[in-house]
Amino acid sequence: MIRYLARRLVYLVPTLLLVAFLVFFLIHLIPGDPAVVMMGPDASPEDLASVRQALGLDQPLWRQFALWMGSLLKGDFGVSIHTRRPVFQSIKERFPVTITLTTLALVFSLLISLPSGVLAAAYHNTQKDYLFMLGTILGVSIPGFWLGLMALLVFSVHLGLFPSTGFVPLWDDFWEGLRFMVLPSITLGVYMAAVVARMTRSSMLEVLRLEYVTHARAKGLSEWKVLTKHALKNAFAPTLTTIGLQYGMLLGGAVVTETVFSLPGLGKYLVTSIYMRDYPVVQGCILFIALVYVLINLAVDLFYSYFDPRVSYQ
Amino acid sequence: MEDALNIEGLKTFFYTRQGVAKAVNGVSLSIRPGQILGVVGESGCGKSVTAFSILRLVPHPGRIVSGRILFQGQDLLRLPAREMRRIRGDRISMIFQEPMISLNPAFTVGDQLIEALRLHRRISRAQARDRAVEMLRQVEIPAPEKRISDYPHHLSGGMRQRAMIAEALLLNPDLLLADEPTTALDVTIQAQVLDIMCRLARELGTAIMFITHNLGLVAESADRVAVMYAGKVVEEGGVADIFERARHPYTQGLLRSVPLPGRRTGQGRGQLYEMSGLVPSLFDLPPGCAFHPRCPRRGEACLREEPPWREIGPGHRTACWLEEADAAPGQS
Amino acid sequence: MIWSKLSRNRLGLIGLAVIVLNVLVALLAPFIATHDPLQIDVASQAAPPSAKFFFGADEYGRDIFSRVIYGTRISLYVSVLSVLFAAAFGVVLGAMAGYYRGWADSIIMRCMDAIMSFPAILLAIGIMAVLGARLINVVIALGFVYVPRFARIVRGSVLSVKQKEFVEASLAMGNSDAAIIFRHILPNCVAPLIVQATANLAYAILAESSLSFLGLGAPPPAPSWGNILSDARNFMLDNMWMTIFPGLAITLAVLGFNLLGDALRDILDPRLN
Repeated sequence: MIRYLARRLVYLVPTLLLVAFLVFFLIHLIPGDPAVVMMGPDASPEDLASVRQALGLDQPLWRQFALWMGSLLKGDFGVSIHTRRPVFQSIKERFPVTITLTTLALVFSLLISLPSGVLAAAYHNTQKDYLFMLGTILGVSIPGFWLGLMALLVFSVHLGLFPSTGFVPLWDDFWEGLRFMVLPSITLGVYMAAVVARMTRSSMLEVLRLEYVTHARAKGLSEWKVLTKHALKNAFAPTLTTIGLQYGMLLGGAVVTETVFSLPGLGKYLVTSIYMRDYPVVQGCILFIALVYVLINLAVDLFYSYFDPRVSYQ
Repeated sequence: MEDALNIEGLKTFFYTRQGVAKAVNGVSLSIRPGQILGVVGESGCGKSVTAFSILRLVPHPGRIVSGRILFQGQDLLRLPAREMRRIRGDRISMIFQEPMISLNPAFTVGDQLIEALRLHRRISRAQARDRAVEMLRQVEIPAPEKRISDYPHHLSGGMRQRAMIAEALLLNPDLLLADEPTTALDVTIQAQVLDIMCRLARELGTAIMFITHNLGLVAESADRVAVMYAGKVVEEGGVADIFERARHPYTQGLLRSVPLPGRRTGQGRGQLYEMSGLVPSLFDLPPGCAFHPRCPRRGEACLREEPPWREIGPGHRTACWLEEADAAPGQS
Repeated sequence: MIWSKLSRNRLGLIGLAVIVLNVLVALLAPFIATHDPLQIDVASQAAPPSAKFFFGADEYGRDIFSRVIYGTRISLYVSVLSVLFAAAFGVVLGAMAGYYRGWADSIIMRCMDAIMSFPAILLAIGIMAVLGARLINVVIALGFVYVPRFARIVRGSVLSVKQKEFVEASLAMGNSDAAIIFRHILPNCVAPLIVQATANLAYAILAESSLSFLGLGAPPPAPSWGNILSDARNFMLDNMWMTIFPGLAITLAVLGFNLLGDALRDILDPRLN
């Protein structure tokens, strides 16, 4: 198990390097002079020069990258052009909002998708199954931002049930904080719920065909036990992988959701920084989110071997 | 002493888009307590479906259509579902062909045995564990205290099957349904596993319904044999009756096509006998006797009506018109 | 053969019909639209739906119906081109990685992993942030993000087919690598590629509209569905119709591709059901 973990980590290093390089390289894709783009055409030559120096743009590419990586490893994600504050600080302040949003969306999504996927598999080929499939197809077709807008209009503006913007941390005031998060997290979670529900259903269907399920029934277990203990544990493994991958959709979708609901999270920070051409912030946010995503998938891989013990011995 | 199991006129059909497959089309057989009945026949003759019908685990789109399954006098088909669940695994247990896929890969061997025990008995986890270890020892798995924490994929095929046998006999059932238990194993291990299964069953007084297509194995282990063809039993009798005095043309064909040591084949020199024709589709069974298209001695009656049962010796019966012809006076 | 199976799949046919509808609308936009989608008419600001403005007018008095109709063009343009881009690069890279193994495989797949380490939308946002909001950039950004999916599929197929004997026979006969790849190995990947492509077309439409909504996609005043929704935000409190119709348009188009994609997956690879 330790060896498996070690192997996974080693495999990760070159990928992470490439990830960092991609983000680093983004700035160099800017058509024209990045410094001018960032500061505007009226900036003084001194300002432009200092920006260039701050970004290391006056050095050869490889040195730039090495310097950038060096600072990264020290936790220095650069400095915002506009606020002059370290990017990492700003990220740290806003990250809890995003994490709250994505976690709540995940919880909501799993609460809906796992039971319905299991039941859909159990009621395979009946009307309930058909409804389920229709529901999930709809779930992956509705654009998240539109769902958010409509939810805002209906539940917040017209029905007044939930606030339309703002954030209260859950650890300050759980119920009040939850009220602010209900609409955004449900909006964000719908897509993932649909995907995971389908994955659960198809995984369960595959497993239910297998002989150990018949064997479990032959032992005298109730159908409920067969489904939830024997079948689900095996079916959950591929579903878990999907969940990990879909977390990326959550992180990406958070950008949009935070914008719609005006939540002070990383996503909104990223979008605002793009409008203001604050590229160090843009880079920092993208890199940070990517790292979170990578770590989550690593965790998923480790959990996978609990559900499918055959894996750690490959 | 009443029969452990008595199946009367069982019919299990599969309702598919291509039509109705009559997998079990009127099967009657019986097993006495502690007896080993070998159920033999080619693939698709309904042996496994019969076993699943006994446990009422026929998969969709199959359905038990008619018949009675008397287990210790009780008709299983009339039992409420909860009662049936209590019988499964406890009074009647089943082992399957491929131990790799019939043991749940996500749980250890021990977990699965302990689950079986605690499902039907009120004992503590520790006690269950001890009994499980003891049972693994009985099936000759070395170092059972260690093996019990292993996952199925850590064990070899033979050991997995032995673990299955251990689980199946753990609760001392009255009847064990063994569906091709050795078919997926290496030939060298088959005899060993079979031996363990039969020996243990005899010690515990468990009757076995041993389903297989391998006549050789049946010859060694069974007390009685039922030969199935196209969803029906065509001949039933003691081992000696079947192997030395088989009367049904299908049984005779089967025996001829299996080279058994010590028996001469038809030509005496080592040429294998081959039955002509193929097993009929279960969707489209021929009228009359299902075997008649392939029967070298078919007569007029065989094409029109299904043959009745006839006792041809003590405890030996067959369903064939030829027996009627022999029994009727003035015919040859 | 595929058609006969497809024709029995009701949902798949509905999906296909929706897609065809979208294509027709896009092609015949000038004939279907009632107004010029870019025409500003301040007097009609936020006009409700009527005989003149089927879906109402936006804050600049532009006819939303016509904008939605022309928006179909943008969605199809971006999705089709980006998927073609992704498929072209993905197939080549995947085939090279699977066929040559060794260094090529390691390097290519590491790069693919690196791209997939980003949430798709996030990377697209990043690329658009630096390239600037232009329609062609959306195509490039989305295409880039989707390359790894195609590469993985092709690599997997290549790996499994490569082991089969007819490849050895073909090599022995002196066929060039390229010929073997194209004539023998790739035809086996077509099924999963088609399934992936239809799924990707659906994602692309969603992605493009999300990017446009954020202001990082089609540059205004282009009538991308995302833009229409973004414009509607300021006025939507009293004018719900501004958001309903473009949103429905997106949902419908994506639904069409998803339905068709599902049906194709059932037909071409029933194992995945």
